[in-house]
Amino acid sequence: MLTYYFKLAWLSLRKTPLLSMLMVSTIALGIAAAMVTYTVSYMKTKDPLPGKSDRVFTVQLSVWGPDQPYLMVDGQEEIPEMVSYRDAKNLKAAGKAQRESALGLFKMMSRAEEQTQRDSQMRMIRTTHNDFFAMFDVPFLYGGAWSEQDDRAGNRVVVITKALNEELFGGVNSVGRHIVLGDSLMQVVGVMDDWFPIPKFYYLSSHAYRDPESIFAPLEYQINQEIFSRNDVTWACWQDIEDVSFSDFMASDCVWLFYWVELESDANRAQYMDFINAYVEQQKQAGRFARENLSRLFTIEEYLRWAKVLSNENDMAVWLAFAFLLACLLNCMSLMMTKFYGKGSEIGLRRAVGASRRDICWQFLCEAFLVGLFGGVLGLLFAQLGLQLVQQIFTYLNATIMQMDLRIMLMTLGLSVVTSILFGLWPIYRAAQIQPSSQLKSL
Amino acid sequence: MLKMSKLAKAYYTDTVKTQALQPFDLEVKQGEFVAVIGPSGSGKTTFLNIAGLLEDYCEGQYTLDGKDVTGLSDKQKSRLRNEKIGFIFQGFNLIPELNLFDNVEMPLRYRSFSASERKQRVMDALQQVGLASRKDHYPQQLSGGQQQRVAIARALAGSPAFLLADEPTGNLDSKMADGIMSLLKDINAKGTSILMVTHDTEQASQAQRIIEIRDGVLSERHAPEQAIA
Repeated sequence: MLTYYFKLAWLSLRKTPLLSMLMVSTIALGIAAAMVTYTVSYMKTKDPLPGKSDRVFTVQLSVWGPDQPYLMVDGQEEIPEMVSYRDAKNLKAAGKAQRESALGLFKMMSRAEEQTQRDSQMRMIRTTHNDFFAMFDVPFLYGGAWSEQDDRAGNRVVVITKALNEELFGGVNSVGRHIVLGDSLMQVVGVMDDWFPIPKFYYLSSHAYRDPESIFAPLEYQINQEIFSRNDVTWACWQDIEDVSFSDFMASDCVWLFYWVELESDANRAQYMDFINAYVEQQKQAGRFARENLSRLFTIEEYLRWAKVLSNENDMAVWLAFAFLLACLLNCMSLMMTKFYGKGSEIGLRRAVGASRRDICWQFLCEAFLVGLFGGVLGLLFAQLGLQLVQQIFTYLNATIMQMDLRIMLMTLGLSVVTSILFGLWPIYRAAQIQPSSQLKSL
Repeated sequence: MLKMSKLAKAYYTDTVKTQALQPFDLEVKQGEFVAVIGPSGSGKTTFLNIAGLLEDYCEGQYTLDGKDVTGLSDKQKSRLRNEKIGFIFQGFNLIPELNLFDNVEMPLRYRSFSASERKQRVMDALQQVGLASRKDHYPQQLSGGQQQRVAIARALAGSPAFLLADEPTGNLDSKMADGIMSLLKDINAKGTSILMVTHDTEQASQAQRIIEIRDGVLSERHAPEQAIA
């Protein structure tokens, strides 16, 4: 019987192509708008480190001078989100976390050893400790992270991304080969597989939707080489650092590194915080950390919310898009009302020859289902176009956040079908109430 | 077959009660051909709607093929309509986007027939009205007379106990009308009861009995002399 109803539904849609197109397009537009917004929001806000995001923390220390606070926000004193090299070194040396890494950044010309000077390109180099890769579940295509020994010695080793490996080495296993970084010859020890944490939570919020850097090197290498350009990266100092030497800068309270720790479980958070407080106390004794101790740990989500990467604006946009969908659905509902009422004489006839109200409901439910299905398919198409448009506009954002995964695609179709049926219920109910005796003279 | 006792119908608005049909008794036996005549607005269509279970009555009792229909649910009435009654309308009421086969098959779809039985019944019914060869055509490809034949085939396909015909020739020229009347008489001769509303006295005279409705009052005219054979 269901196939019969679907056949009737299909014939009915074909009978009034313009009205059917209008219904389908109305739903498709609403669905597309809702899903484009939802996709971007969903991809932006999904857990970037599934399984361990509640036990990976960034450390923020109250390292600032006595005269004025680092920042005042809404009357509250804020502390820097980054730490100084001196503190990063101390925390790392204490080794209280299961894994821990400081994260720095510099910019330098780089190329494969085989390439000529002319092929050099300016690239961002992420400097860190080897724990970075295990802590953030970075997948490797070839090789792996550098060793602790490399960390300590600041050896000339790098991990590169799959994309850079394609670019420089044609995608072959390049472990053991070299890239030239400024004047240094760096040995490739690992090639990462695809890795696009969204949002890119581990550094400044302004970088949250950018691609990861393509070269990773030990932090100590950067220190050994005395690489630090005040123009290329974000940093802050409370002390006067005009004309200070590199080593003095590194010994100062100037903050420029992110510091991330992985604890065995979220239950260890308080324990680690005790350690941080003790460390701050100890530093106070030594004359540093002059202000009230506001040091803290943030989980990834806490940090992203604090840094306003995750904000209610995302939710607001989604709500607005769904309100637009609602308007489209109400529109479609009135079109369905027109359509089903126009079939009054057919309903009368079917009722006369033996169709019950339920039979009529089923027939029109199938029609609403088809409208929803076609609307969903067209909506998916519109949404893809919409996402491509968004990609063109926001080229600096990682394109991955503008792609629908299978879950969202199925959700789109499901949403379209379910809402069409839901908003078709009233027109269907009204249609089933039509008195057959009033309609039979007019087919 | 069809028995109505003290049946009456009134319509109510906020303040006014309109008596559409005064209480009446009527019995139609198996195999009878009964014509219902009366001027416009006399209550003919109301009577036919009640007989066809398309409209409720206010008082009295209605027994269809031995079954009291008072208080039946929508589903039960739909089933009874489907199994016992074949409708023929003045305007043919064929669905334009369905071909003849699908139009005739429609009542059978609401009964649990197998596909092969449905096909057999549709083809038999189309055969009976002489249109089996045009089963794949669409209503708009046929003349008015042919369309009414399709509608008759649709009414016959479910082997109903009786046919309810509402001005079946009202939209046809006299030649086509004669053809339809002769088809109805053939069907009746094979044992199907027919209740036909008409305002054409000449056609009414071809029935075995004539019921006249005037201002909501049903009365039986004496049997016409030229009853059908």
